[in-house]
Amino acid sequence: MSQVKQPPAVTAPPQAGRPASWVRSVLSNQQVLLAVALAVLVIYFTARDSAFVSSSEIVVLLTNFSTLILLAVGETFVIISGGIDLSVGATCGIAGVVAAFAMRGMVNGHDNEALVLLVGTLVCAAMGIGVGFLNAALMNWARLVPFVATLATLGAGTGMALVLSNGVPIGSDSSALSFGAEHVGPFPYLFLIIALVVVIAWVYLHLSRYGRYTYAIGSNAFAARAAGINVRRHLTSVYVLSGLLAGLTGMVFYIRLGAGAPSSGDGFELTAIASVVIGGVSLFGGSGRLTGTVLGALILTVVTSGLIISNVSPNWNQVAVALCIAAAASLQALRALATPGRRS
Amino acid sequence: MVNRLSIRSKGARRGLAALALASAGLLAACSSSSSTPAASSGAASGSGSSSGGKITVAFNMGAEADPFFIAMNLGAEAAAKALGVTLIWQGDPSVYSPSTQIPIAQQLLAGHPSAFIIAPTDPSALQPIVNQAISQGIPVVNVDTHVNDLSKVLSFITGNNQQGGAAAADAMAQALHYQSGKTYQIVVGASSATTTTNTARLQGFEAEIKAKYPGMQVVSEEYSESQPAVANTNVNNWLTKYPNLAGIFAIDGTNATGASAALQSRGLVGKIALVGYDAYSTNVALLQKHVFTALIAQQPYQEGYTAVQDVVKYLRGGKSTSGIQHLVTLPNIVLTPSTSSSVLTQYTYPNA
Repeated sequence: MSQVKQPPAVTAPPQAGRPASWVRSVLSNQQVLLAVALAVLVIYFTARDSAFVSSSEIVVLLTNFSTLILLAVGETFVIISGGIDLSVGATCGIAGVVAAFAMRGMVNGHDNEALVLLVGTLVCAAMGIGVGFLNAALMNWARLVPFVATLATLGAGTGMALVLSNGVPIGSDSSALSFGAEHVGPFPYLFLIIALVVVIAWVYLHLSRYGRYTYAIGSNAFAARAAGINVRRHLTSVYVLSGLLAGLTGMVFYIRLGAGAPSSGDGFELTAIASVVIGGVSLFGGSGRLTGTVLGALILTVVTSGLIISNVSPNWNQVAVALCIAAAASLQALRALATPGRRS
Repeated sequence: MVNRLSIRSKGARRGLAALALASAGLLAACSSSSSTPAASSGAASGSGSSSGGKITVAFNMGAEADPFFIAMNLGAEAAAKALGVTLIWQGDPSVYSPSTQIPIAQQLLAGHPSAFIIAPTDPSALQPIVNQAISQGIPVVNVDTHVNDLSKVLSFITGNNQQGGAAAADAMAQALHYQSGKTYQIVVGASSATTTTNTARLQGFEAEIKAKYPGMQVVSEEYSESQPAVANTNVNNWLTKYPNLAGIFAIDGTNATGASAALQSRGLVGKIALVGYDAYSTNVALLQKHVFTALIAQQPYQEGYTAVQDVVKYLRGGKSTSGIQHLVTLPNIVLTPSTSSSVLTQYTYPNA
């Protein structure tokens, strides 16, 4: 079983076209179109107010992007595997609160700042991994579908974060805040660290057997199992990965707020899923690229800040995000129609 | 094959058992600590509610885990203890909505409490519940928010959000050393367009500015959707858009958290006036560090205390309304870095 090298059920990711059709594939490539859309948005918002591309605003944009992208990366793995993870926002909240409790004493005792943040990061990671295993357990043992299992942990996580914290932010850590604000040029340290994580995730998804298995299961779990992939174990690891990245996002929230706020991730699962959908990852699983998700998250970040900088009424924000999703999704559907034979 | 199947079903059973355990634990965690086991027996005899009998007061609210209601719970418990009555405290843990409040309220009324105190999440949707209680002969008090028809309600105890907004404008003007003839750019961080307390605070704030500080201009208002990180993003974007920003009015606790973090991380403490709402202990600590110029505090503890006191007075006084005010409006309190620490402690919401 284990000597199966290339699972037969793998549907080639969209980029794997023949070299002969290189030019055509670039032009019909979702990533290229997203990059163009992103450029148009940046130019538009800059035209409305040139402060949009000022160094300080780029720091703001990249910090916001850093808050969203890890959730979106985890969600990309899950959605490509054919599932969905609704619990990521709640995981941020509970991980941030528990870590803040762990760090509060250290902050008050004036422990070394780097040590405090390291402990917080480890606690957040452990919480996230725990939620990931819980999700997998609900699916594997209680036989819940991913939507229901992660909906349950979403509710439980949100509630527990409120119960533990009494609803108020925990801790007040000004050194975490100053770390969050440190940057080289327009690049916050936080962003540079997270960018590295995203690159590692990209390699994992697109260049490793782990990634190929993920696509295989998302395309056809039945065939993947027949090909000798331990589907259950692989899916467990996918949800644990998503939980881990969500837990780490809880730490990003802590660094941004100088406190563990129970509601900090509320609703962010939908923003993460929106990034993935805009990025061209199919909700049916088995296809999509991480670069698409990165561009999707960038577009959402740019739209959110751009509307504020352009002084547009905040009620339009949700409408604008909805338009982005609808446009990206219909683009994907039209492309699938235009290039028959290619799975989208 | 048979063997494999049995293992599977065992695994599934174990999983289900774990799930059931987990949900039971969750339920236990959610139901409030103040509902004592004796509550049900008290409720059964409570319908008589003669002046000498055991009094059971049912208290129902929107989002129970909101620090505002947690503080209110402490006040209500203190009053119940002082007056020797039983308090049943129940509400949805985190959802502030009539759809979750109504079933809980119905459940409470089914237990025939001696009195019913409610913070309705919607003025129309909760009216039938209030009517039902009154028709059962149970006296009703409204706290914080109210139903449309207050004519048969014993009393309504609330904080004055409009006055709080005006007080915030005064605190802002003082912090800016307001001089007429100069202009000041102000931004407002709110939670959503439909939160009634936010609207009342903003109305009070804007009316006060119009009347007394015409040089203060509200240049932008953004929503946090109750997420501190979104509030933080809003403030960071404002700092780009308005390099000469003079002040921020953070209209609730979420916005206060996000805004104070933004000013601290950008090194703008003391350069931009920040008036916040809600005396979370973290916010009070930041007030003492001058990150907040002023904090506006509500009095949830007092609201809870007064509500319980009113119904007990009514029940023990032979159901006479004499000495009970129909409308009690508790002012919002302005806290500044120079406020004495005993006063600060009094208004700080309880922390975890």
